[in-house]
Amino acid sequence: MRRFGGRKLRLLVSLGVVAVAIAAMTQASSAAPFQALQVKYAIFTDCKGAFAFGYELDIGGANAALSEFAGARPKNKKKPSAGLIGGTAGGAKLTSVGYACGDDTPATILKEIRRLMVQKDADVMIGPLSGDEAVATANWAKNNPQKTVIIGTAGSQDPTMQIAPKNLLRYHGDGAQWNAGIGEIVYKKWGWRNAAIIMDDYSFGWTSAAGIIADFCAIGGKITKRVFPPLNTTDYSAYVRQLPAPDKVDGYFWVVGGTGTDPAFKAFEQAYGRLKAKQHSGNLFLWFLTGVAVAPRLKDAYIGGFGTGPGLKTAQAAAYEKSMKKWYPDLPATDAFVYNYYNAAHALVEGLKASKGRVGAALQAALPRTLRTGYSVSNGGLVKLDSRRQAIADQYPMQITNIGGKPGVKIAGYVPAVDQTFGGTFSPSKPAPGRNFPPCVKKKLPWQGKIQVVTNGKITNQFVK
Amino acid sequence: MRKLDAKTLTERLIGVGVLVFAVLAPQIVNGYWLDTIFTQTLLLGIGAASLIFLSAYGGMISLAQTGLMGVAGYALGNMVSQRGLLGESKGLALGWDPTLSLVLAIVITTAAGLLFGAVASRSFGIYFLMLTLTFGVIANLFVGSVTKLGGFSPIAGIDRRTPGFIGDVLNDRQRLYYIALIAAVVAYVAIRYVARTPFGISLQGIRDEPVRMSSLGYTVPLHRMLAFTFAAFLAGVAGVLAAWWDGQISPSSLGLNATIELLVIAVIGGLVRIEGAWLGAFAFIVIENEVTNRIPSEGLPVVGGSFNTVVGLIFLAIVIVSPDGLMGIWERLWGLGRLREPQRPAPTASPAGSES
Repeated sequence: MRRFGGRKLRLLVSLGVVAVAIAAMTQASSAAPFQALQVKYAIFTDCKGAFAFGYELDIGGANAALSEFAGARPKNKKKPSAGLIGGTAGGAKLTSVGYACGDDTPATILKEIRRLMVQKDADVMIGPLSGDEAVATANWAKNNPQKTVIIGTAGSQDPTMQIAPKNLLRYHGDGAQWNAGIGEIVYKKWGWRNAAIIMDDYSFGWTSAAGIIADFCAIGGKITKRVFPPLNTTDYSAYVRQLPAPDKVDGYFWVVGGTGTDPAFKAFEQAYGRLKAKQHSGNLFLWFLTGVAVAPRLKDAYIGGFGTGPGLKTAQAAAYEKSMKKWYPDLPATDAFVYNYYNAAHALVEGLKASKGRVGAALQAALPRTLRTGYSVSNGGLVKLDSRRQAIADQYPMQITNIGGKPGVKIAGYVPAVDQTFGGTFSPSKPAPGRNFPPCVKKKLPWQGKIQVVTNGKITNQFVK
Repeated sequence: MRKLDAKTLTERLIGVGVLVFAVLAPQIVNGYWLDTIFTQTLLLGIGAASLIFLSAYGGMISLAQTGLMGVAGYALGNMVSQRGLLGESKGLALGWDPTLSLVLAIVITTAAGLLFGAVASRSFGIYFLMLTLTFGVIANLFVGSVTKLGGFSPIAGIDRRTPGFIGDVLNDRQRLYYIALIAAVVAYVAIRYVARTPFGISLQGIRDEPVRMSSLGYTVPLHRMLAFTFAAFLAGVAGVLAAWWDGQISPSSLGLNATIELLVIAVIGGLVRIEGAWLGAFAFIVIENEVTNRIPSEGLPVVGGSFNTVVGLIFLAIVIVSPDGLMGIWERLWGLGRLREPQRPAPTASPAGSES
């Protein structure tokens, strides 16, 4: 009898599973019809993988802009993912269909695209977060022209250069643009002429390194060695040993991110001795080093920017930071994850106002080609989009410093109106950045010799010498 | 004429019913369900069938099948995609003839299976499992690290250039569904056929008594290697369909998560019967789809990734209720009506324990 009861239970569970599947099918088959003047959007970010920390930051940035410009209100100012109440733009009601939970891989982002952009039929995507996700998204966008994508904070070059679908826009620089000026600064300030570069072996690593190489070589520097550790390497000793010894080069550029940055520097110290700050530079990954053991030894090192201007004292920067503080007081306004998603959502609101709430091609045409953003100074304080809908934006190389007894970063220079092509180094007909592209070539860049010194957060009229 | 027993007759009727439903599905369900649920069920089902074939008839649980699917996708992607106007920026982008690329992709995958099989065929149980997992990991790291083949970014445009007899799968998703359906039916029939050939019978003998079969003069490693090669062919077909379905392929398509997903599909369906492959794929995809949609991502105490936990719990429940997966439930349901009769033992693959 007892055995029979167990069988019954199993039977019930089995039938339950089948019933859920049938109910789900029936419900999905009778999807709700399209409602006029409602714009459905989805925020694409990561909740797993190396960039999972960006989840609340990304959503917070986007939600703050929707609150500031579209009349929405946060449900919980401490937790952006709690969502928003209300919000309209161009007469259309803004409706969130959900947040994508990416893990910085193309396969997962495509799953999330099917869930949110296809099944839930979102009209607009704000995101994604990371480089390879953006490449996959751009490929998808090319086949789905009725959907609109405004990239969140992904730094790969391809989405707006080699792929460049008409329905995809990016209001921030790519990974190469973020590094504009850093090569010229170490060339002039530290006297570097020959340098080696070590870069993560994937699209963002290549793109970020491409900006450093193009900038450093353009002013006359030489890259004598390129080393490519695979992503997620834990022991960097073999790769560090491929680098020339410290007496053979003037310096090293580091483009090793995530959990790899600290062990890579430690491996270097084990191989070549204590770090000398004047011999090391790198990209935004070194911002995140400020909490670890090697950071104090890198004080005064110059590093690449992230498109934001922490500590910049302008009226626009103050207004943006005040807006963030108003809606999400605990979020760091100067964080690029927050800032870039804020600008993407702001652009969406402006676009909807111009398109009168219409989506698809109408929205894509109406999305602003210039946008007032917090840390823009040139072009009247506007970010400008180029013909491939990629931002031409100001950049801020940084310097590791001591803030309140702890390592931190401060702005080292102001590089005005950096475009994606680096004076023709990159173009749609040329390969995407890779291990050996771009080559090291001396040439004139638009911002060469025009990098302005920033002192105490104020842009001076002096140029970096 | 052989008289069919009631169970076989019922199963055949259900099979015909499912097939009729599958043929009429485009008229019954909406586009999302057809493309995302049903087409994916069919192609992942073929991949899972290659795993279940090895398990049910060869006593080998392979974790290399996802890697082999990826080999097919990468081979096709590198050969068929082209740079220029279409904008593909990754991989070799050879721009070869789509039909030639299709054939070569499946040949390369089958050859990779032959090679893997040759190495793994002398191992049993947990060692075989570990070796095949190693193959899967090698395939994943190889395509990610050899940047000329694509690197970590996806190779795109695979669905833009297909053979003439396949047609436009990018814009006509119904066509892709029917292609996947035909491939699934052919794969199913092929597996059933192979299982009944002298090779299939001796493979089952090797599954149950490898030492005895060896003493009878059968070359055990050769049989296991050929079985692995046949399964690689099936995985290759699934890989090509997956590449057309997604339109792009990246290392994450053959990563550890994807490997585990295919194993979960096979276990949910049941590792003992081929039909379980498609049943498991359908159940897994529906569960994943519904759970991710029904758990609101807004306002949860944990972030959106919590759906993995829910999917895991449902998987646990199915496996606890029926260790032989959904096909095992079917066997039990059938047995329920005949409680008073002595129960027929459920078929087991007896892969690891009895062999090692």
